[in-house]
Amino acid sequence: MGRSYLGEFEELVLLAVAVLTDGAYGVAVAAELKQRTSRTISLSGVHIALYRLEEKGFVHSELGGATSARGGRRKRLFTITSLGRQTLGELREVRNELWNSIPNPSMS
Amino acid sequence: MANPSTPPAWADRLLRWLCPPYLVEELLGDLHEQFADQVDEIGEHKARQRYVVEVLTFIRPYFLTRQAAHFINNTNDTLKTGNQLHTSAVRPLRNATYGDYPRPFLLHPSMLRNYLKIAFRNLWKSKGYAAINVVGLSVAFFVSVFLFLTAYFQLSFDSFHEDGDRIFQTYLFSNDPEKASRSSGMPLPLTPAIKADFPEVEAVSRLMNGSNVVTYKGKSLDKQVMLTDPDFLKIFSFPMRKGNRATALNDRSNIVISENMAKAVFGTEDPIGKRVQLGLDENRKDYVVTGVLGDFPDNSSIKYDAFIQIANSGNYQSDKDKWDAMSHIVYLKLSPQVDQATFENQLKPFAKKYFAGNFDGLKKKGAKPDERGDLFAIRLQKLANVHFDTEISGRSGTPVALVYALCGIASFILLIACINFINLSIARSFSRAKEVGVRKSLGALKNQLFVQIWGEAAIICFVGFVVGMVLAYLLLPTFNTTFQGKLTLDYILQPDKLAIILGLFVLVTLVAGGYPAWQMAKFNAVEVLKGKVTIKSPGLLRNSLIVTQFTLSSLLICCTIIALQQVDHMRKQPLGFQKEQVISIPVGNKVNGQQALKRMRNLLASDPMVVAITGSGVNLGLGKDRSTSRSVMGFTYKEREVSTDWLHIDYDYLKTLNINLLAGREFNPAYPSDTSARVIITESMAKMIGEKDPVGKFFQTDTAGARYQIIGMVPDFHLYSTTNEKKPITMFLSFNDNINYIFVRVAPQSLAGSMDKLKGVWKEVAPQSEFTGTFVDENTDAWYKSEERLSKIFSLASGIAILLSCLGLFAVALMVIEQRTKEIGVRKVLGASIPSIVIILSQDFVKLVVLAIALATPLAWFFMQKWLDGYAYRIEISVWIFILVGLAAILIALATVSFHSIKAALMNPVKSLRSE
Repeated sequence: MGRSYLGEFEELVLLAVAVLTDGAYGVAVAAELKQRTSRTISLSGVHIALYRLEEKGFVHSELGGATSARGGRRKRLFTITSLGRQTLGELREVRNELWNSIPNPSMS
Repeated sequence: MANPSTPPAWADRLLRWLCPPYLVEELLGDLHEQFADQVDEIGEHKARQRYVVEVLTFIRPYFLTRQAAHFINNTNDTLKTGNQLHTSAVRPLRNATYGDYPRPFLLHPSMLRNYLKIAFRNLWKSKGYAAINVVGLSVAFFVSVFLFLTAYFQLSFDSFHEDGDRIFQTYLFSNDPEKASRSSGMPLPLTPAIKADFPEVEAVSRLMNGSNVVTYKGKSLDKQVMLTDPDFLKIFSFPMRKGNRATALNDRSNIVISENMAKAVFGTEDPIGKRVQLGLDENRKDYVVTGVLGDFPDNSSIKYDAFIQIANSGNYQSDKDKWDAMSHIVYLKLSPQVDQATFENQLKPFAKKYFAGNFDGLKKKGAKPDERGDLFAIRLQKLANVHFDTEISGRSGTPVALVYALCGIASFILLIACINFINLSIARSFSRAKEVGVRKSLGALKNQLFVQIWGEAAIICFVGFVVGMVLAYLLLPTFNTTFQGKLTLDYILQPDKLAIILGLFVLVTLVAGGYPAWQMAKFNAVEVLKGKVTIKSPGLLRNSLIVTQFTLSSLLICCTIIALQQVDHMRKQPLGFQKEQVISIPVGNKVNGQQALKRMRNLLASDPMVVAITGSGVNLGLGKDRSTSRSVMGFTYKEREVSTDWLHIDYDYLKTLNINLLAGREFNPAYPSDTSARVIITESMAKMIGEKDPVGKFFQTDTAGARYQIIGMVPDFHLYSTTNEKKPITMFLSFNDNINYIFVRVAPQSLAGSMDKLKGVWKEVAPQSEFTGTFVDENTDAWYKSEERLSKIFSLASGIAILLSCLGLFAVALMVIEQRTKEIGVRKVLGASIPSIVIILSQDFVKLVVLAIALATPLAWFFMQKWLDGYAYRIEISVWIFILVGLAAILIALATVSFHSIKAALMNPVKSLRSE
């Protein structure tokens, strides 16, 4: 497959962006992941993952709404691109295939 | 949230500094939002803590590299005008990552990598030149580092005292019509008188050298116990480790010791308040330790183990009111309001009052006041200059000329190495002209090219530097033993010395690398690429550099030969006594010399090996104790001012030294009155007192004192080094004065075993004292230590200088001849003989060397003439030295060049003409 490599954390972030649809930005993604995975998530890590995903073309970003809690600063809102969706789908398929090939499915 | 809590501002600042500016807004926004959530959730205090942790996690390569790149890009944009697009874009680098490339900065890592790669390829391509440069530079580095550090060490003498600019040593100036003299010996009453008369003197202290035996709990040690005044501790800032600086020496039975001595005597005990004994037998006295001083640094003129009051000195009671008994030196500290000249003027009436006798004597001799209007004066020498004032400090000082000679030699050698470097780089630069042209046409700026080429030079310098430092480290012990240096690794690794070394490196890199780089960066790109800049010889500069090199080398060689000849000449100077087969034994402080001599006489009386035994107060030459002393007596005899060495000897002195009497007789135990007021004088003493037939005459050294009768006269002999002329000597015999040295003349046939034999005897005579006997001829050789050191330094330096010069010449010749390959081919085809080609190739270089010799000769003559003026027995500089050195230099240069020229002349012209 000629697509870019996607790390485990990057995959999670990309999924979170997909889940959050229009409201995906740093804090929201971090909160989402924290809640779902119950691991410590650092903002800096999330940001780097987002920027990398953008460089790879999986997400697309624009600057959006400022709130008083942010000190009037705008947030960068990320949305998943079709390439991102396609890649996630491919990944899922690969996994499913692998799962299906496990001889004793009862292990889960 | 009426009054919203805010995260720590410093963390925000850190984030701004860490992250590229186009990301700061969204990042800070997210962080603040999260912070606000967490304040509600876990409280403000914890939230602030988390916030800081969160910001710290932004220290990541991802952000840092983008921040650095942004910074560099911006600087670059401001350097080069234009391209406003970048700065106006919202997020310049993120755009850049999608499309156009960032502009490489001059010092961008990849450019640097390119420079380095090119540099190493170039060096590899021309291994020979690189090796010559590295060898030359490393030798020059390590030699000059040694020499500069030695010079620095000398120049830093006594510089560690606080208020050093207010500390002075006094000296007496007398404008004697024969030769104006300055002497540092002072009479005991001077110091109290100065203290009483001059309130502007903050502190004044006498200082007398003395060595003594220190006994504590049955253990005896020889120590340098200086005699001084309580003010000494106020003048000098040797650190006081224990005890009170103001009161430590206030009592006659106080002693202040050095840390070293505290360790040696008391071990781990606390020395304060302990009692030690000083002196021998009936002279033994108790002292209480009241202070511990830090050890003196190596660059201190004052060397000590301990201090006691000067009132404890043996002749204090008899001499304390005598203004003509000079026994010690005096240091004083002026108050800040008074300067040296003012105080010297104030001392004029003071000198007239107390030294009236000296004024009268000088007037009688017909002395005239000097340019400052003084016949006789007490003057001050700055502490910083004391070490270099050999007339005042005696032979312990270092002539400042030697220090400058060291610096000069070090600079010469560095200069020669730099010249090599410059010559080679310029000669080679033409082969790289094309590279410069291509770089320029691709948009390289002059500055960038300069940095690149200069950087290559810096690499060679650096390699040379590292090799030089390794050499220096390995050769440090050799250097120290050869030159009696005190350089240690610790000493070198101090910041100021490291600064000197690094300074040298930077200087060489700038001089040697900078000029050729600048020349190359200046090439005109178009002409170079057209091939118009041909290899024309950079004649004048290169030639003058070669001339400079050879001038310096021949100068050093001439100086070396002359210095060696002078040392040899002084050695061969007849001393007036027979120095061979005489052993000199320093008695030391633990033994009474008179008794030791008596016992030695008894033990060796019937020994056939021993010809004669005697004792004296003064050693001949310098023994293992390295000490020397001198006492001079001045008096008036029949209206004449007389000044003579006053030498204490024992029976058989003349016999032991093989000095023949000219008239009269030697001291003889058969005449009991010989032990008081009988003297033997030398010929020049007889001349000084104006008696043709002095035997039997009487003289008095002061009106109340004894009348001395002259019982014998001997020819002049050298009691001290042949640097000076033979001085008048008066010898006396006394059982009350100390015998410091025992001399034994052994029979020539038993010379070999004599030293061991005497060692055995000494063990019987003085079991507590170590035997440190030496042969007198070895001792007298030690007089020329400093001259020998100088000639050693000169020979080393001239060897290195000529070697480096030849190395350079070798490389330049190679290059010049390579450039003339075609010419040689054509000449050969047209029928030139091999010798004629060799001559043509060599003559250019020989001309330069001849010119260099012509320049060096008068310089060497002038400098060495000045140096030789300081010696009473000096050689005349012979023209032959210069002729021989000149011939040798030409031969060496020829040999160097001919290696290449003969090779070139022998080459088949077909080969050299074929390539086109």
